[in-house]
Amino acid sequence: MTSPEADVRRELRLVARQALVAARPHWRGDGPATGLDEQARARLWAQMAELGWLGLEVPEALGGAAASFGEVAVVLEELGRAMAPGAFVGTAVLGVGALGAVGPAAGRDALLRDVAAGESVLAVATGEPETAPAFVLEPARRQYRVRGRAAFVVDAPDADRLLLVAGRAGSDPALVVLDRHQPGVAVEDQPVLDATRRLGTVVAEEVDVAESAVWQFEGKVTDAVNRLHDRGALAVTLDSLGIAEAMLEATVAYACERRQFGRPIGSFQAVKHACADMLVTITLSRELCTLAVDDLASGAPGATTSVSRAKSHAVAAAVEVAGKSMQLHGGYGYTWESGIHAALKRTALNRSLFGSGRSHRARLAARLTTGLL
Amino acid sequence: MQVPQSDYDDFRLAVRDWCRSNVPSGWREAQTGVPDEEFVAFQRWWFDCLQREGYAAPHWPAQWGGGMSVAEQIVLYQELAAADAPRLVLAFVALHHAAATLLAAGTDAQRARHLPAILAGEIWCQGFSEPEAGSDLASLQTAARRTESGWAVTGQKVWASGALHADWCLLLARTDPDAPKRAGISYFLMDMRSRGLDVRPIRQATGEAHFCEIFLQEVEIPEENLVGPEHAGWQVAQETLAAERGMTMLELSERLQNGFRWLVARCGRPGADGVRPIDDAAVQDRLVTLETELTGLRALARRVVEHVEAGRAGPADASIVKLAYSELLQRMTDFGTEIAGVGTHAELRKPLSSGWESGVWALDFISSWEWTIPGGTSEIQRTIIGERGLGLPREPRVAG
Repeated sequence: MTSPEADVRRELRLVARQALVAARPHWRGDGPATGLDEQARARLWAQMAELGWLGLEVPEALGGAAASFGEVAVVLEELGRAMAPGAFVGTAVLGVGALGAVGPAAGRDALLRDVAAGESVLAVATGEPETAPAFVLEPARRQYRVRGRAAFVVDAPDADRLLLVAGRAGSDPALVVLDRHQPGVAVEDQPVLDATRRLGTVVAEEVDVAESAVWQFEGKVTDAVNRLHDRGALAVTLDSLGIAEAMLEATVAYACERRQFGRPIGSFQAVKHACADMLVTITLSRELCTLAVDDLASGAPGATTSVSRAKSHAVAAAVEVAGKSMQLHGGYGYTWESGIHAALKRTALNRSLFGSGRSHRARLAARLTTGLL
Repeated sequence: MQVPQSDYDDFRLAVRDWCRSNVPSGWREAQTGVPDEEFVAFQRWWFDCLQREGYAAPHWPAQWGGGMSVAEQIVLYQELAAADAPRLVLAFVALHHAAATLLAAGTDAQRARHLPAILAGEIWCQGFSEPEAGSDLASLQTAARRTESGWAVTGQKVWASGALHADWCLLLARTDPDAPKRAGISYFLMDMRSRGLDVRPIRQATGEAHFCEIFLQEVEIPEENLVGPEHAGWQVAQETLAAERGMTMLELSERLQNGFRWLVARCGRPGADGVRPIDDAAVQDRLVTLETELTGLRALARRVVEHVEAGRAGPADASIVKLAYSELLQRMTDFGTEIAGVGTHAELRKPLSSGWESGVWALDFISSWEWTIPGGTSEIQRTIIGERGLGLPREPRVAG
């Protein structure tokens, strides 16, 4: 493709890959996926802001690039390839997505401006589609009160602002904006096996919120909430695609170099064919991701379907690729030092975030049984 | 894509209308279990129908009677599949392999001689494999000896699909027995009416006999029927056929999508136990997994064709799409066989001229090995993908 759009994305990819390769030693520390020192994380975050990644979908008037999810997708894939830390998903994917889904509101534009400048880190409790929100919003003496608890919220420990999808009796769910340090708000760190990501439990205990912090979704609210969830699902799918590609490359390089029985192990069919299978499944993943990114970026009505297809195939494929990579690296692959465990943990975590493969396939199956094929 | 959507819609409606008035109703029943001559006559008749409308060779360059865009071809194949139109089985090698070879490596005279003839119904087969040269095709032994006017060829070919009905054959033969095995092969066009040829059908796993052995005894091939430089036949075959393998996938992946619809419909009918398979969550899960892979395959087939047309196909693209297609076809027909139950084992014949997924699931499943074995087995494809696509080292040569 040689459209201006494709050129922009190619350039973005090149810059991202270089920047992340250069930043890599700093967050890797003494061993992959362990030495996530705060200074290095802060440096990377500042760099993301400087390169304009955080404000890709933010309007130009607010300091953003006014680009689309297509460009965000490029960054997501490169972050996955580098297994980079940082609250990109919480801030630039879900946060900006949520802010873009609500109508004009006081403070919304200021928050978008802060995000684009790298001055605010967001986390969003999206809830699950077809499920009652984890948070409840009630009218109270001082305008509103919110309560609830959501576990495994991506990037919550890093966030200074929390965006909650909150249900209301007799009315549509709304987006509630909380300051992390507001009385009654707590974020409990939730350690997970994948040390490159930060998840947390967000708790709101009868938190008073002003009306100015309750924002209404535009259009049909269930669609808006589903779209937010789809953004999260596709974000971790693209992350997995990037990891899978990096793992295949690492495996091929190792198979060309490592010798046993007097020849490179990559010359053995058992190894070669396993690598070929990795390439085939990654190639299909890429096609499914491209379809889903195009649909999501253009707001196509079929986006939910194409996102579910991409999520169920590409994320599972990435776990297989990471596992096969560990296998083909042999004993070294199983060491902490090799870092392959980090890929396996991150892809397996991605598989469980924003809907399991099984739940996405169930969503697809609903179309089959209702004859919407 | 620059063409406005409505242009495709108009074209789609035109194809749909054409199918409505031209696809013979009841052809499946009529063509199930018919003798070979009837199958051949039906194929020739259907070829003429499509050709008159410009639908037989849409992928060819415009100057030779094709010229459809990739997007239009997809619409055409989708509509033909949706209308359950017969497939061009007999003309397959002529339309794809022969044409691709002539267009890429043939002389002007060879193109002028054969491309219009193919559109007029000339049938082709492929004489590549030999009893001792299957996956190791480059070790082929059929020998072409220089004569005053060309070559005299002696040897044996096998797995030549449709050879009994073919007018011409794409032939690989050894022209230099002393050169390294890949450097001593030449590519020929062989007239199947030549003297010294004996064609014998081989019965295959489905019970049908479309594959043939070809025995060659001093068969004369004139000078002008050499394709590409002498001794460079291996390179000609590699380049033209890999590209072509990608092109055929556009049609086949759209057919597979249609087969998937039949599979879903089959799952919606109650089985012997009165239960609809589709109400089982495990069945739904398998179906959407197949559908998801199919969606990826169709997008990939389209991308590969676009890359081939733009002259920037990757060295393993064709192998990736062939491997993905053939293994998906096998999984899907396997699942169809499981769903269709014992009843499909009583369907002893499938309609000739149908796709690889005819809805006669057990025979479809068995015939799916016709995709995972010929044209380079799945194992050979994986080796190609590993070596040419990923740059992994070759296996050491065995001495001798």
